[in-house]
Amino acid sequence: MSVIPRLQFEGISKVFPAVRALSDVSFSVGAGEIHGLLGENGAGKSTLLRILSGVYRPTAGSVLIDGSPVTLNNPVAARAAGVAMIHQELQQVPHLSVAQNMFLGHPLTRGGIFVARREQERRAAEALAALDPTIDPAGPLGSLKVAQRQIVEIARALLDRARIVAMDEPTSSLTPSEFERLAEVIAGLARDGVAVVYVSHKLDEVFGICQRATIMRDGVVVGSVDLAQVSEKAVVSMMVGRELAQEQHRSHTSSEVRLSVRGLASATKVHDVSFELHRGEVLGIAGLVGSGRTELLRLLAGADRASSGTVEIDGKAIKLSSPRDAIAAGIGLVPEERKREGIVPLRSISSNMALASMGVLAPRGVIDHTRLKRVAATKMKRVNLRPFLLDRPIRLFSGGNQQKAIIGRWLAAGTRILLFDEPTRGIDVGAKAEIYHLIEELAAEGHSVVVVSSELPEVIRLADRVLVMRDGTVAAAIDRADLNEQAIAAHAIPQSETQAGKAQGHRAGA
Amino acid sequence: MTDITEHTAARPRAEFLHRFSVRDAGTLIGLVVILAVFGALVPGFFAERNLINILQQSSINACLALGMTLVIISGGIDLSVGPTAALSAVISASMLVAGVPFPLAIAAGFAIGLVCGLLNGVLVAYVGLQPFIVTLGTLSTYRALALIYTGGNPVLGLPAGFRAIFNGSLFGLPLAVIIVAVVALIAWILLKKTPFGEYLLAVGGNEEAAYIAGVPITRTKIAAYMISGLLAALAAQILIGRLGAAEPILGNLWELDAIAAAAIGGASLMGGKGSVVGTILGAVILGTMRNGLTLMNVQSFYQLLATGLIILAAMLIDRVTRGRG
Repeated sequence: MSVIPRLQFEGISKVFPAVRALSDVSFSVGAGEIHGLLGENGAGKSTLLRILSGVYRPTAGSVLIDGSPVTLNNPVAARAAGVAMIHQELQQVPHLSVAQNMFLGHPLTRGGIFVARREQERRAAEALAALDPTIDPAGPLGSLKVAQRQIVEIARALLDRARIVAMDEPTSSLTPSEFERLAEVIAGLARDGVAVVYVSHKLDEVFGICQRATIMRDGVVVGSVDLAQVSEKAVVSMMVGRELAQEQHRSHTSSEVRLSVRGLASATKVHDVSFELHRGEVLGIAGLVGSGRTELLRLLAGADRASSGTVEIDGKAIKLSSPRDAIAAGIGLVPEERKREGIVPLRSISSNMALASMGVLAPRGVIDHTRLKRVAATKMKRVNLRPFLLDRPIRLFSGGNQQKAIIGRWLAAGTRILLFDEPTRGIDVGAKAEIYHLIEELAAEGHSVVVVSSELPEVIRLADRVLVMRDGTVAAAIDRADLNEQAIAAHAIPQSETQAGKAQGHRAGA
Repeated sequence: MTDITEHTAARPRAEFLHRFSVRDAGTLIGLVVILAVFGALVPGFFAERNLINILQQSSINACLALGMTLVIISGGIDLSVGPTAALSAVISASMLVAGVPFPLAIAAGFAIGLVCGLLNGVLVAYVGLQPFIVTLGTLSTYRALALIYTGGNPVLGLPAGFRAIFNGSLFGLPLAVIIVAVVALIAWILLKKTPFGEYLLAVGGNEEAAYIAGVPITRTKIAAYMISGLLAALAAQILIGRLGAAEPILGNLWELDAIAAAAIGGASLMGGKGSVVGTILGAVILGTMRNGLTLMNVQSFYQLLATGLIILAAMLIDRVTRGRG
């Protein structure tokens, strides 16, 4: 290509006091190209995006836009240079209106004093019209769904006349139809000549919407590939640096019923759910976001109160009015949002792992620290948590290792029923395989496992049996023999939406 | 196998000591520097009597600050410690004046402190109101109760026997200092060695995660406020023992000194972080400043200025040494 690329990284290096985060990173993205940026956590993707958006300055190398080097000393400069960043965790103010958020930091004014609210809303509406006309620019941003909030961020990029849009894990909490909507919007951006840098863990998405991709590992570029020419498997081995073994599902279900749920309902999201969970079984729960999967898990974990229904363990009815009740009954929740509901970031990995077992570790009111360390060490080895540093604050560990610590926490507490909500969200490809392996081992040891997941391949990889949830209730139970993506999707999507979707196109957030 | 375990476990322990006592070491260095400066400027500053004086003058604030530290670690704040102390003081004092036996009067004072803390804790943890607003409300309420109870007048003429309890000394140290030292040791054990301490740090560090992990959130928070109330009551007994009288306005602005000591000692108002050792050092730093500046005949306006600057300096050093984020 003789055409000057829209965005070019040239020999970018970034050295932090303790680590070299990037070395000699070079690749380019053309105008109108959607370019995937792939790599495990810690590969340097985030650092590179921070350099692009002016948060970090590179130690060496330069960023070129349309062939000329630009200095991106701070986020304002990056924005002025035409770079728009769409963060994984959206950086918006929920109490302000959509339009106010879109003009945050550089409001339109009358006479430099008063905010021109109407004018802002008019322009916001213009920018939103092409993307999602159902969004009200004057309404509070907080009332929108995540998918719509992302659309707002993109509209903001359009307002800024961005030439480069960088998206960091934009779809981590979207439903499939919301993703399709977003994919259309991204394709629209590309048609207008914007260069899109698309960071995602989900390879199928990257293969679906990107033309080319750059793969990074340990701060260096492993290669830039044309996605039409390579297989997913090849890309994964570039990311991980080794071949991942393709593993077969093995079932460890016994006939013994461990957990029996009848007519379980909550005040709002869950209606009349009944199922049985066997010893050694891995039960998958599929369904769209909002179908009540997370709420069901929270009821079983005692985190929310059920309004009716019974739960029996080994044939004995239990009451679940707090997580303490659930833990006492042998149930533990591995929550979806690890940072918010899983870890205590400042505390050590061993304290985090011991948190649910304090009663046992302090039999006479004083914690037996020797025993605590021994238990934590045993469980760390059990779940293969690395590095093996018992006193290191948990926040310094990777997402995959944090997840293993939460699993270890429940093993230490003697939990026999483990509830996983999106077990591999935000986790590397390599660590993902380890988590799958661990779940299978736990089942083989006789633990009973429930896995809620939006990723169908994940459900199919792990589950002995799948419950499909729709509108707060169990729409179908699918046995291993009949398990495939089509079967799950057929039950997950409400009939009305498929018809409406065909009739009037997708309405995000409907 | 055992070899490997021992080996890998030993290194992180060193790292742990290194990492976690750094903050306390910093506070200690700050104290040493301040002591050195006053030692150079004020003749007789290092006299044994003056050093004991500093400890005695710091003891009441240290006592309050220990309770405050636990509350702050839980992610809360207790602005009502001064009025809690006042209410406890006037009730104990009037019982003493009426001839009630000392242990009973003192126990009543402690009970008042516990009840004040319980009310704070229930409103915060059970009802779910914001700690700052709750304790701002009880700050006025408890103060008003103390004023109404006494009609605004001090309770005078406490029996000499009662005063002797808190004015005595042991091994050459004032009893007040020894009492607070014992309280500090108990607080340290609570925080470092008991499930309650782990729960406090977890609740303040991430309440949602603590909840899912089965931590008794409500009980933990209420306990923190009750301990704070109890220590305010203890401070009140020490003070009225020393003064021989109880004023309903005693303890005005005590909460600020207590928060300052905790913050200098490394407690984070975001919760989840704080140190008993640090808080004690913080209280002694504030006491030393006051003592040294008074000996230098510095006007009280400037003493206030110096206290303010010390707090800001401590926070800035904290920020710089930890770096961004």
